[in-house]
Amino acid sequence: MRTITRLLRREKRGISTVIVVMLSLVLIVMIVGNVVLWSYQMNEVDLERSQEALTITNVTRTEPAGISIDIKNTGSVSLHIVAVWVTNSTLHQRYSANVFMNAGESIAYNRTDITVPQGVFLAKVVTERGNIAVFSED
Amino acid sequence: MRRKRVKQLFKRFLRDKRAITPVLSHLLLTVVAVAVMSLATSATFVITTNLRQTMGERVVVEDVWFNSAAGTLDVYLRNVGKADIQVSGVYVNHVGASFNGAFHLEVYKQGWLRIAYSGVSGESYYIDIVTKRGTHIADYYKAS
Repeated sequence: MRTITRLLRREKRGISTVIVVMLSLVLIVMIVGNVVLWSYQMNEVDLERSQEALTITNVTRTEPAGISIDIKNTGSVSLHIVAVWVTNSTLHQRYSANVFMNAGESIAYNRTDITVPQGVFLAKVVTERGNIAVFSED
Repeated sequence: MRRKRVKQLFKRFLRDKRAITPVLSHLLLTVVAVAVMSLATSATFVITTNLRQTMGERVVVEDVWFNSAAGTLDVYLRNVGKADIQVSGVYVNHVGASFNGAFHLEVYKQGWLRIAYSGVSGESYYIDIVTKRGTHIADYYKAS
């Protein structure tokens, strides 16, 4: 062992090659690690989004004005509703919302500031992760 | 006396030219190595940042409105990713269409993308929105 150490100390050739390889390895590890880590984070985001599911079971007009939307969280993760849409052929109106729902929870979401058009309309709720539930009211 | 001795030493140092070349070459090599390494690190940073931003783009189409009154095709987009996006091109049925200028969306921001296109009620259209980094948000939508 001592002889090997002495030999290594005396032998100076090939040191720069080793240093270059080590530095290159550090760079490669930095690139790959960064990309893999980010890819993992984005996969988590996509997985959470795919686990999220919600349905609108009923939409009713409330008196004297407004709307009541029955929403059920059918997914396995909690969700955050950020918008409600009311659309028909002549109007596409977005209303900001801020509702949190646990997995399996059902709520009746009431809004008096939403003007519901006469006749056929479509109600949509949008979650923070980007999933959308649609209900068609005739 | 001491001053004289220092002068003598300095003169001897100036006269002695041996081993200057190896010192200079080592110095130059160190400078070059540091410069190359800095360049490589900067390049690594730029490449990984670009890759991360490209991978982090996620856009959701909240609503599509074939607005016959305005003669436009309005698409409501929301950025749900981890990087800002900029729309660089819009294609309706694989044909380029003009839209409302430089459309830029920060993370968790939303807005209407107004495309100059009139749809015929009942017809289906393939709308393809392309971001500056090359992400496609494409789907079929039926005009109502």
